[in-house]
This record gives sequence, C-alpha cells and structure tokens, in this order.
Amino acid sequence: MTKRTESTDVVADAADTERPSRRRWLREHSELGVSALLLVLGVLVLTDAITMDVDLTQRGPVGPRTVPIVVGAGLLVIAALLAVDVLRGGRGEAEAGEDVDLSEPADWRTVLLLAGVFLGAAVLIEPLGFPVAGALLFWGAAFALGSRRFDRDPLIAAVLSVVAYAVFNNLLGVPLPGGPLMGVL
Amino acid sequence: MDALNSLLDGFGTALTPVNLLWAALGVLLGTAIGVLPGIGPAMAVALLLPVTYGLQPTGAFIMFAGIYYGAMFGGSTTSILLNTPGESAAVVAAMEGNPMAKAGRGAQALAAAAIGHFAGGMIGTTLLVALAPTVADLAVDIGAPDYFAIMVLAFIAVTSVLGSSRIRGLASLLIGLTLGLVGLDQMTGQQRLTFGSLHLADGIDVVIVAVGLFAIGEALWVAAHLRRTSGEAIPVGRPWLDGGDVKRTWKPWLRGPFIGFPFGAIPAGGAEIPTFLSYVTEKRLSKHRDEFGKGAIEGVAGPEAAASASAAGTLVSMLTLGLPTTAVAAVMLAAFQQYGIQPGPLLFEREPELVWGLIASLFVGMVLLLALNLPLAPLWAKLLRIPRPYLYAGILFFAAVGAYAVGGEAIDLVILLIIGLIGFGMRRYGLPVLPAVIGVILGPNAEQQLRRALQISDGSVTGLVNTPFSVTVYVIVALLLAWPLLRKPVAAAVRKRGQTPS
Amino acid sequence: MRLRALLALLGAALLVLVGPPLLTPGSGPETGTQIPGLRFMVPNTPGGGYDITARTAAKNAEDAGLTHGIEVFNLPGAGGTVGLTRLVSEHGNGKLAMSMGLGVVGAARSNDAPTTLAETTPIARLTEEQDVVVVAKDSPYETIGQLVDAWKKSPGKLPVGGGSSPGGPDHLAPMLMAEAAGIAPRQVNYVPFDGGGELLASILGNKVAFGVSGVGEYLDQIKSGELRLLAVTGPERVAGLDAPTLKESGYDVNFTNWRGVVAPPGLSDAERDKLVRLFEELHASDEWRQSMERNGWDDAFLTGEEFGDFLDAQDKRVVSVLKELGL
Repeated sequence: MTKRTESTDVVADAADTERPSRRRWLREHSELGVSALLLVLGVLVLTDAITMDVDLTQRGPVGPRTVPIVVGAGLLVIAALLAVDVLRGGRGEAEAGEDVDLSEPADWRTVLLLAGVFLGAAVLIEPLGFPVAGALLFWGAAFALGSRRFDRDPLIAAVLSVVAYAVFNNLLGVPLPGGPLMGVL
Repeated sequence: MDALNSLLDGFGTALTPVNLLWAALGVLLGTAIGVLPGIGPAMAVALLLPVTYGLQPTGAFIMFAGIYYGAMFGGSTTSILLNTPGESAAVVAAMEGNPMAKAGRGAQALAAAAIGHFAGGMIGTTLLVALAPTVADLAVDIGAPDYFAIMVLAFIAVTSVLGSSRIRGLASLLIGLTLGLVGLDQMTGQQRLTFGSLHLADGIDVVIVAVGLFAIGEALWVAAHLRRTSGEAIPVGRPWLDGGDVKRTWKPWLRGPFIGFPFGAIPAGGAEIPTFLSYVTEKRLSKHRDEFGKGAIEGVAGPEAAASASAAGTLVSMLTLGLPTTAVAAVMLAAFQQYGIQPGPLLFEREPELVWGLIASLFVGMVLLLALNLPLAPLWAKLLRIPRPYLYAGILFFAAVGAYAVGGEAIDLVILLIIGLIGFGMRRYGLPVLPAVIGVILGPNAEQQLRRALQISDGSVTGLVNTPFSVTVYVIVALLLAWPLLRKPVAAAVRKRGQTPS
Repeated sequence: MRLRALLALLGAALLVLVGPPLLTPGSGPETGTQIPGLRFMVPNTPGGGYDITARTAAKNAEDAGLTHGIEVFNLPGAGGTVGLTRLVSEHGNGKLAMSMGLGVVGAARSNDAPTTLAETTPIARLTEEQDVVVVAKDSPYETIGQLVDAWKKSPGKLPVGGGSSPGGPDHLAPMLMAEAAGIAPRQVNYVPFDGGGELLASILGNKVAFGVSGVGEYLDQIKSGELRLLAVTGPERVAGLDAPTLKESGYDVNFTNWRGVVAPPGLSDAERDKLVRLFEELHASDEWRQSMERNGWDDAFLTGEEFGDFLDAQDKRVVSVLKELGL
C-alpha cells in the first residue's frame, strides 16, 4: 500500500487494470470453490473419524473408522485433482436442459427467493399448519419463478394445499398439522 | 405340473369380478401415490394398508400386489417426465427418460417404461412360479462375502456413469459416500457425522437424497436459468413406439428381468442395484452408445424391466421363506400377520388359494397396469404443458409433502433443502448427480457386508473369498478391469483363427 | 384487477385456515373409554414389532368399540430414541401414546439419549415374548449343551446373529447367555442384522453358528423343521414347542422381551387414568385375546405404578449389561 502511494501513475494504472482482471480470473476459476468445499468436507470426515471412540468389540481390520478414513482421504485427493484440473483450464460443463437458458447469467435472486420460500415453509409448518405453509410454498415458488397472476395463484395454491391435506390427513391417515384454528372451530 | 394346476386355480380366484376390481383399484391407487416424490412403494403400501382392512385376505393381497407394481411404475413416471424420482429404484429411469421427455419423446419413454414393467413383471412372475422353491434355497446360500463381491462389481460399474469428466464424477461419488456415512454405525452403534443430533442417527434416507438432488436441485437450477423468452411448448409427440424404437428396446426388455429377479430374491438385494446394473449393461451393449445421457430409449427399457422383475423376486423370498428382502416386503409381511397368516415354508400348504390367487393376480395386475398406462402415457406427457412456474412450484410442493409426511418433522425439509442446494451446485459445476445417489445406496451396503463378512470369519480376511460365488464375481471383476489390456491380443487371436482356415 | 387479487387472497386465506378444521371429523364426546383424537406413535418403521403391536391394539380397540379414530403413525429413528424424545417434548398431551418395549430402553441408553423413559408417564405393559436360540436344520449342534460347549472353546469362531443393533433385545439375550455360561461378554462375536429377514437367511445358510430372536418371528420355520430350536430364554417352556429353557439346561438366564405403552410427561391424574382404563378395557376384550393368540404373544398386563417400577428395574438391568460390554 505504502509503495503504491509513493510510486508513479503508471503503477496505479496497472493496479486499476489488475483488479478487474483478477476478478475475472476468480470468476473463471470459481470452480476452485468446489475444490475447497471438497477439501473442507474431507477434513470434516477425517476429523469425525479420528475423534471417534473405537469400540473394543471390533473384529478384523475394518472398524467403524476405516471407511470414513478412506472416504475422507478420497475427498482430499479428489479436491487436489480437481484444483489442478481447473488451473489447467478444465471446466465442468453446466447442465443444459429444455427450460434452461445458459446464455443468460445465473439469476441468483430467483434461487435465493426459492430457497427462502422453501425454508420459510419448513419453519411455518408447525405453528401455522400444513395447509397455510403448503399454500405459501406453492404461491411463493410460482411467484419466484415469474408468475404474477395475483387473482389466480393464491387460489390455486390454497386449493392444492387443502386437497393434499385432505388426502393425506383424512384418506391416508398421515397426520399433518392443521393450523391454529384446529379445535377452535 | 402341480404348480400349473394350482396357478390355473389361482386365476379362477383372481379373475372373479370383485378381485379384478381390487387389482385395478390397487394399480390405480398405487400409481397415483407412487408419482408423489418421496413416496415410494413401501410408503404407498403402508399408507394404503388401512384401506384394505375391510377386505377378505385374498382381496386385500390382490390389491396390495396392484399397489406395489403401480407405485413402482408411478415413481418412474415422474422420474421420466420431471426428473423427479418418486423413489430410489426410479432414479436410473431419469437418466435417459428425462432427456427423452425434454426432447418431446416423453410418451415414448413412458411407453418403453410401461412395457418394460410389463415384461419384467411377466417374466419375473413366471420365474416365481417355476423356480420359487429353488430360488429360495439358493437365496439362503448367499452370504455377506457374496454381497460384498457384488458391491465391488457395482462400484466398478459406477465408472461408466461418471460422465465426461472422471474427476467430477468421482467427486460426486465421494459426496454420495459421505452422505451415506451419516448415522449410527450399524455394527457397533457408534455415531458418525451426526454431530450429536439424534435426528441424523438413522442416516439420511436415500429417497430424501434422491428427491433433494434431483427434484429440488433441478427446480433451483431451472430457477437460476429459466428461459424468460417462453420457448414453444415441448411437443407431446406421437404416443406410440415406432419400429425403430421397438427394435432397440425388445432386447433390453427381455434382459432386464434376468438382472432384476435374482436381486429381488436375495435378502439384501432390492431394486436399486439391479436397475443400475441393467443401465450399465445396456449402455455397454447398445449400438447407440453415444446417445446415452441424451435420451437413449434402451436406458429406460432395461432398468424398468429389471425393477419390476425385482419386485417379483422379492415375493419369492417373502412367500416361501417368510423373509422380507425389501421394505415393501416387510410391510406386506406385517399385513399378512394382521390377517393371522404367517408367510413361510408352510404357507403354500396352508393357504394355497390365497398364494396362488396372489400369484395369478400379479399376472392380472401387470396386464391392467399396461392397459391403463399405455393409453395414459400421452396424457401424463401433457403434464409438461403446465406453465413452468406452476410445474416447478408443484414439484417443490409435492417434494415437501413427501418428505414431511414420512416422519412429520420439519427438520426433514431443511435437510431436503440443503441436499437440494448441493444438487444445484453440482449442476452448476458439471458434477453428475447419479454417482452421488449410487454412492448413498452402495456405500453403506458395501461397508456393512464387508464388516459383517469379517465379523463372521472372526476377523480373518479369507472370510471375503471363501465362497465359490464371491470368487466367481471377483474373477469377473478382474476380467472387466483387465479387458482394456486383453482386448488387443484377444482380437488379434480371433482374427488369426479366422484367417487360418482360408 | 386489484380488487380481484384481494378477493382471491382472502378466499385463499379463508380456505387454508378454515378448511382443515371443517374437514376433520368433529370431536365426539369424551365419555367412558372414548378419547377423541388419540394418536398412537410407533418409534420404529412400518412392519416392525412396535408397529404391529400398535396397529393391532388400535384396530382391536376400534373393533371392540372402545374408542374410534385412533391415528397410528411412525416416527422411526435411533432404535426408538427419536420417538421417545418427541414424546417427552409433548408435555401434558393427554391424547398421545407411544408403543415401546425393551428395545427402546436399550436404545435410549446406548445412544446416550437426552431423555429417558423415567420422564414418561407409564401406562401399561401389554405383552411379552421369549427369545429363542435356533440353528439351521443341518447344523452340527443338536442340543443347547453341545452348542454352549463349542461356544466356550472358541467364542470368536461361533458368530451369533441377532436382529437388533447393539443394546437391543437380541443383543442382550446372547450376552446374558454368555455370562451364565462363563464366557466374557466381550468375547462374544455378535453380528447384527437389519430385522429378522437377513438374519433368518444367515441362520438357514449356516452363515452364523446360531441365531437369537423373538419366538413369534420364527414360529413357522421352527414348526416346519427348517430351524432347530435349542432353547428358550424365559422362565418357562413355551407351550407347543419342544425345547428346554436355558435355566433347566443349567444356564442361569431369565430373559423375556416385552412391549408396552407410555404417554408424555405431565399428565393430570384424570388423563392418565383414562389412558390406563382404555388399555384395561382393551386387555379384557375378546378381540385382543384373539390377536395375542394369533401372534404368539404372552399376556403380561401390568399398569400404572407397577409398570413404572418395572421400567426402572429394566433400565438398571440394561445399564449393567451395557457397562460390562463397555458400550
């Protein structure tokens, strides 16, 4: 930092062009994140295996630790191999599909919204009951995916949710939480 | 020919109008419930158990058989159309079926699956009639070392579904193996990767993993890249298989059952491993190998026939030994006991009418399933016409219902979402999803059988190779591994021999 | 447009909130043994022992007109510990009961569960079932004496198969048997199997030297001669089966598996008495008697306080066996 303030405009210029290019490098090599995650997973599995109390009734060379150690080591190796592959220019091909348009950049807002809606439903299912949480899940997901029919979507969601509730709870005998009005009405 | 006469009597029982009605009802209900993601045949049979309380035992079991086959087929339907397997045995169907559906050949994929189920059920049930006592005796001889050898073979086979990048395929397999480690160690009861949570003690269910990776992962992935310029709707296409399709599928239809049936009959078999092995076999034998992964119809036909024949194999062990080899069989066994009937060696003598009625109704059920589902295939395929937001919202909704209904715990939904996010990441970075699911299925099985074999032999490694069966399998494994090296000399020798006479 | 959207939203809200209560059949009067909305939790998977007990009890109670609309549901996990934890968390819920047995006692201990059975409200012990020691029909062991002699010589070479994970009933029985025969429990080569199916195949195929399991599970195979019954583990012989008890063969073992019902903690006396009364009436019904006969269950009815004391004693016994094993 101190160096830059002392130096001439040329250096500052270089730094300016360097930053976007580093960002681009990181974006192009974002797959290294996968490698890092595999590494973390491997360390996690190995730690869990090594801190496990070994039971004395084990017979033979293979105990409760063996397979986790093999899997953990495998994860470390594959993390390293993947990193090398990415640095050499290898790229995982993103999955294509009929509904998928890869020419556009990923729409993170939709993904986060969708995951949030799902998580919300998981949280609300106990206090508000299945029909409410289910309807919110369906409507929320449809909304996140671009449906804006406010006069139709809530009704579709509600009917679907209540029908599913009735089928499971009343016909199949799988108890689902009914909501705050159960027992009040 | 005693069996044949008994079977004819059985048809007499099964073909009464009332029992036909129960079979049809079972097939319909089973299919309807089987299509829900996360609700497989075992759950379907368990859920519909109370429906049959009012029936006579024969009627009830005829209905069960219908539910079982129907649920297996239903699971494949969503697998093919929506890339959302309803159960773990239907995972493989998604591999080729879904690309077919996306290319507008959904109806053909469904027809190939339906006929595959029909062929598998017919051949499987015929084998059941002809071989039941023999198979049951053989099944008992298969022990832990043999299972482990089969697992090794299956692991070798995984290499052919790793996709274009070996490293990424292996990474996916290892993710699956890691997920499979979660839970209590089955041999010593030690907790592994549970982080002290009792909820994880029984591990993460394969169905949750499959639904999470496929259905939730798919929905999130589509959400990230949804085609905003609404492309034209996928054409539903012609509902029927043409000559070319049939030419490609008749062999897989006939091969699949012979892979599926034995696995169903052995105590630790099930339907997942044979569907997967059938897929790999078809891929190896196909003349259209380059189409695999992009919608090769053989990859739907073979595994589906294997799945259905495995269901027939399951009934062999259950009826003749009282030995439940899968969760469905365990539920059916419990149902038998509700009626005061104990399946086992004495069942054929004690309740001939029920057993042969049940077996005959398996044939009838298969015909009904085909008759119902072939015409329905184009209708099912129209599911893809539902506007995208509703379609994927529906997938998320039903996946949530399925996951929640199993245990009634909201935490299951959170686990499902986490696995879904993993599935999303895997799609983003080109990690194939199938090896992960195979890892979850194979890993715990392989470990358990390995450790059990060693435990039985009191820790001696020879306990792994002390049966003729396991040795045979290892020889096959060795040949498969050495094949790339042997291929040239063998081909040369063959050519040479071809030349000498001339 | 906005008005329609508002109406749609209102309609949807009304539907999801009011629909479920209207769909659920109205609660009947709470008279006699009727407990409207009673739910019966099964802490293992469909088809398992607690599942069969619970579903049979529920069906018989309905058939006998004691109560109707009992919902049986499964919450499997960690040998019943997940279900136990849920039960304890439903403090004061008088409309919930859980089917359980010795296996849950063992699992709660071996999994270091945060909750114990002592926190629950004991309702009733229903049935008991002896374990059997069985070998394949072509096994070299003809009597329990021969088997135990060979076992003593090399415990490691004679693997014992059982249908439960460490800490469960099929694990405890051979350990007690080993102890009585003078074999250190740690020496026992116990091989756990998932449920009875794979275990049966392993016994029939002589993969394990002998198997230990509930008598009801293999009744048919014993009768047909596929399995040879060497001994039963309980205090008395089992009617209709030609085999000695371990005790009369000279091994001091008295082991019976049992199943019963517990309810959440914090129930009022009235709520508890109501549940106890329901099971008393069930126990007295013809339907239940027939079911027990059919499934090969022995009557072991015990309620309230006495059942609570029994639970305590069982818990202590399990703890002492597990301690010796170092689990």
